[in-house]
Amino acid sequence: MRAAVAPQADDLILSVREVKKHYPIREGALQRVVGHVRAVDGVSFDIRRGETVGLVGESGCGKTTLGRVIAALADPTDGGVHYSMDGEMRRIDRLEGKAAQTFRRNCQMVFQDSFASLNPRHLVIDLVGRPLKVYNEAASADLVERVVELLEQVGLGRQHLFRYPHQFSGGQRQRISIARALALNPEIIVLDEPTSALDVSVQAQILNLLNDLQKERNLAYLFVTHDLSVVRHMADRLVVMYLGKVAEAGETQAIFDSPHHPYTRELMAAKPDLEAEANVEIRGLEGTVPDPARPPQGCRFHTRCELATSACGWEVDDVIRWLEDAPGMFEHLVGVERTTEFAAELAFDNEDAAGLLSMAVRSEQVPETMRAAMRRLNLDGTKVEIEFEEVGEVELTVRDDGRMAACVLAPQEVASWKSP
Amino acid sequence: MLDERHCAAPVASVRDLKVHFQSKRGIVHAVDGVSFDIRDGETLGLVGETGCGKSVTGRSFLRLLPVPPCILAGGSVTFHTHVVCKACAGVGCEACDGTGRQAGWDRSVDLLGISSEDMRRIRGDRIAMIFQDPGKALNPTLPIGAQIAEVFLQHRTEELIALAGLPPDTVGAIRRFASQSPRFGDGWLLSLPGPRRAQRQRVEESLAKMVADALAETQVPNPGKLMARYPHELSGGMRQRVMIAQALACNPDLLIADEPTTALDVTVEARILELIRNLQQRRKTSVLYISHDLSLVRRISDRVAVMYAGRIVEIGTTAEVFANPRHPYTRGLMAAVPGADTPRGKLAAIRGTVPELVDPPAACRFAGRCPHETGTCRSNDPVLEAITPSHSVACFIDHPAQSGERPTYERVTK
Ligand SMILES: Nc1ncnc2c1ncn2[C@@H]1O[C@H](COP(=O)(O)OP(=O)(O)OP(=O)(O)O)[C@@H](O)[C@H]1O
Ligand SMILES: Nc1ncnc2c1ncn2[C@@H]1O[C@H](COP(=O)(O)OP(=O)(O)O)[C@@H](O)[C@H]1O
Ligand code: SF4
Ligand code: SF4
Ligand SMILES: [Mg+2]
Ligand SMILES: [Mg+2]
Ligand SMILES: [Zn+2]
Repeated sequence: MRAAVAPQADDLILSVREVKKHYPIREGALQRVVGHVRAVDGVSFDIRRGETVGLVGESGCGKTTLGRVIAALADPTDGGVHYSMDGEMRRIDRLEGKAAQTFRRNCQMVFQDSFASLNPRHLVIDLVGRPLKVYNEAASADLVERVVELLEQVGLGRQHLFRYPHQFSGGQRQRISIARALALNPEIIVLDEPTSALDVSVQAQILNLLNDLQKERNLAYLFVTHDLSVVRHMADRLVVMYLGKVAEAGETQAIFDSPHHPYTRELMAAKPDLEAEANVEIRGLEGTVPDPARPPQGCRFHTRCELATSACGWEVDDVIRWLEDAPGMFEHLVGVERTTEFAAELAFDNEDAAGLLSMAVRSEQVPETMRAAMRRLNLDGTKVEIEFEEVGEVELTVRDDGRMAACVLAPQEVASWKSP
Repeated sequence: MLDERHCAAPVASVRDLKVHFQSKRGIVHAVDGVSFDIRDGETLGLVGETGCGKSVTGRSFLRLLPVPPCILAGGSVTFHTHVVCKACAGVGCEACDGTGRQAGWDRSVDLLGISSEDMRRIRGDRIAMIFQDPGKALNPTLPIGAQIAEVFLQHRTEELIALAGLPPDTVGAIRRFASQSPRFGDGWLLSLPGPRRAQRQRVEESLAKMVADALAETQVPNPGKLMARYPHELSGGMRQRVMIAQALACNPDLLIADEPTTALDVTVEARILELIRNLQQRRKTSVLYISHDLSLVRRISDRVAVMYAGRIVEIGTTAEVFANPRHPYTRGLMAAVPGADTPRGKLAAIRGTVPELVDPPAACRFAGRCPHETGTCRSNDPVLEAITPSHSVACFIDHPAQSGERPTYERVTK
């Protein structure tokens, strides 16, 4: 069964399969669960020995949550992370005893905020030596030597053994975090924005260090970052996440050469390289990442995608979102009765407002593709009935070069699109 | 400085600014002899690593530094205010091309020397500042509209009165009230002495319109609705827009932007930059843009100043500095950014870290980290000197010290 879920491969270390992590939203005195934040909502990819997989996306799209699930610091709500152990793939949340220990040793995590992740009351020798003690790897004099060895690997030394975290700069603290992660000689390290809080000159030192260590130890990294120039430099393969899902995944170079998902394209267009022409076009994205408790239908990116087609999941929420920003109508909206996410009856407190809305959604004021997706629009006094074509979730599809992207458009259409 | 003969008159001139801090270890020379001009209508980028003194420099303009531990150890920040357009009283009309100003300077002041009262009048009106963390700059207990209204109540009282058709003698009352309890929209004007109810309502309406207009400038959807919301209900990008609306409400001559997009996603950052750029160009506001991000500064600035350890080590037009960086620190920063073809593990890191700024010796501050340093660099202190009329650098490579050997570049290759 396991093999059926996760493909076997000699060099495979981790296989993430349909992982979901939902956090309950509680309300009221009884703390009743009123919904779920779908932080990670069905994500799959593999990590092989010695490679770096980059994980990118805007803040709040679920990168850290996914990293924590992979490092077994949080249990998935659904799906699982499979770990290659003694020639078979085993679900990490079902490991017990010695096997669980083996996984915990072999998969480490380094956090963005070294201030929060290093206990301020512990000396460096305790911070870095702790995993060795816990796993009975070393004690007393031997322990000191092992810690010194680790410190030297990350460019620190014996003179730093008896200092506290606050006596170091941000870059040095990140080195200490890395030394601690290396202590048990892991196979894979989840690096959550390891250089985001650092200056470029220090970032360069840390990235070089990570690369040297990877070569020496054949380490695999899951490198979480929002910085595309860093991920292009570090990652062999790339996973682009949007609102808890994978938008695009594949070879880093191929994705940078021609993104197949409009979201990837927009991420790249938002931050030009230092090497790019000074006058290169820069674009941002309209609006914000939608509420992960109510992700949009169809393609989750359709609320911000300038290429969105009529098949991308236009729904009742899009009308409401539009109404919120339209003065003179939202104030008069008194009720929304949904039959599905795609059909509802909107009630206003006067006929004028209802009339205005039914006119507006027929006009240029809303995207043409949204109008095209409308199956029914019925004005009845103070009520407007509206119905969109029902669309299923836009799934990831495998492309010619083996990469995956979740977009209804062909790669050429994404590549040739010019902002108006 | 060299480039003065080339340019329009500066809106602000910083000369030999020294800002120090008392600390247990000694006197920290956070800003230690900084001179530069911000020209009229330009965006000057200020880049450098954490702790090199960018924010302290920016805050000096508005004296937003805690004294003690801060010591203003010397220098001056001369600021020129524009002549306000007579036709529109600063609102913007055809005669002034929408800028609200006329050519020429009204007066000039040393921002470090004026009274607190004068500084209050300038702050938020002629010079405005936006910060990295709008959460901290905005008041969490007041709705957005009220916070922007506060600026108008402080600095635009006469216009407000005129708009509402109230007698001029109500100015004092409104201003006093604004400084005591700047609450807007709760019908607080009812408690004002003097004007009758209908007139009060007119003040509220005019104020609401001014606030809505200010918000609309930043392209927020439905400003009317936004005014009633609280800062915590907004996304980071939206809060930053509100802060920009507040900062630009009075059409300042100078905007100081201290890493306003550092906490935002790149997608949102791009929009905010575009917004600042558009507003700046339309209103001809001068901007001091502080950031540690080279590619961003390159995009937004007309000129760039590179700061290191309390000093400006290189300054020039954006084109010159990026095409031909001369200071080894500037070169180091640029080389450290991963490029498309940089081989993995071969990033050009700058060795070491920024030195402690406690009682710095008379030497180049970059000595110890510099790949080109020589004996000269450790016993002499290089000053900014021109290499072209619009590009200056403080390094002995370009300006050999009288007595020492002259270091030479090996071209920094990636
Ligand atoms: N309130 C203070 N008390 C003591 N020292 C201070 C204070 N504020 C700033 N400093 C010191 O002044 C120097 C410059 O600080 P500043 O915050 O201006 O740097 P920066 O370049 O803007 O850094 P960052 O990128 O982190 O904001 C630092 O050495 C800092 O420790
Ligand atoms: N412990 C938690 N309880 C509730 N919601 C959470 C929790 N942790 C994360 N979230 C939510 O999950 C989503 C993804 O968060 P996170 O993985 O931290 O994003 P990223 O690291 O990409 O910034 C966000 O909407 C966040 O608010
Ligand atoms: S499916 Fe593609 S085109 Fe449609 S909204 Fe999503 S990203 Fe845009
Ligand atoms: S003066 Fe000397 S140490 Fe300083 S930057 Fe120039 S070469 Fe380097
Ligand atoms: Mg995160
Ligand atoms: Mg700062
Ligand atoms: Zn005018």
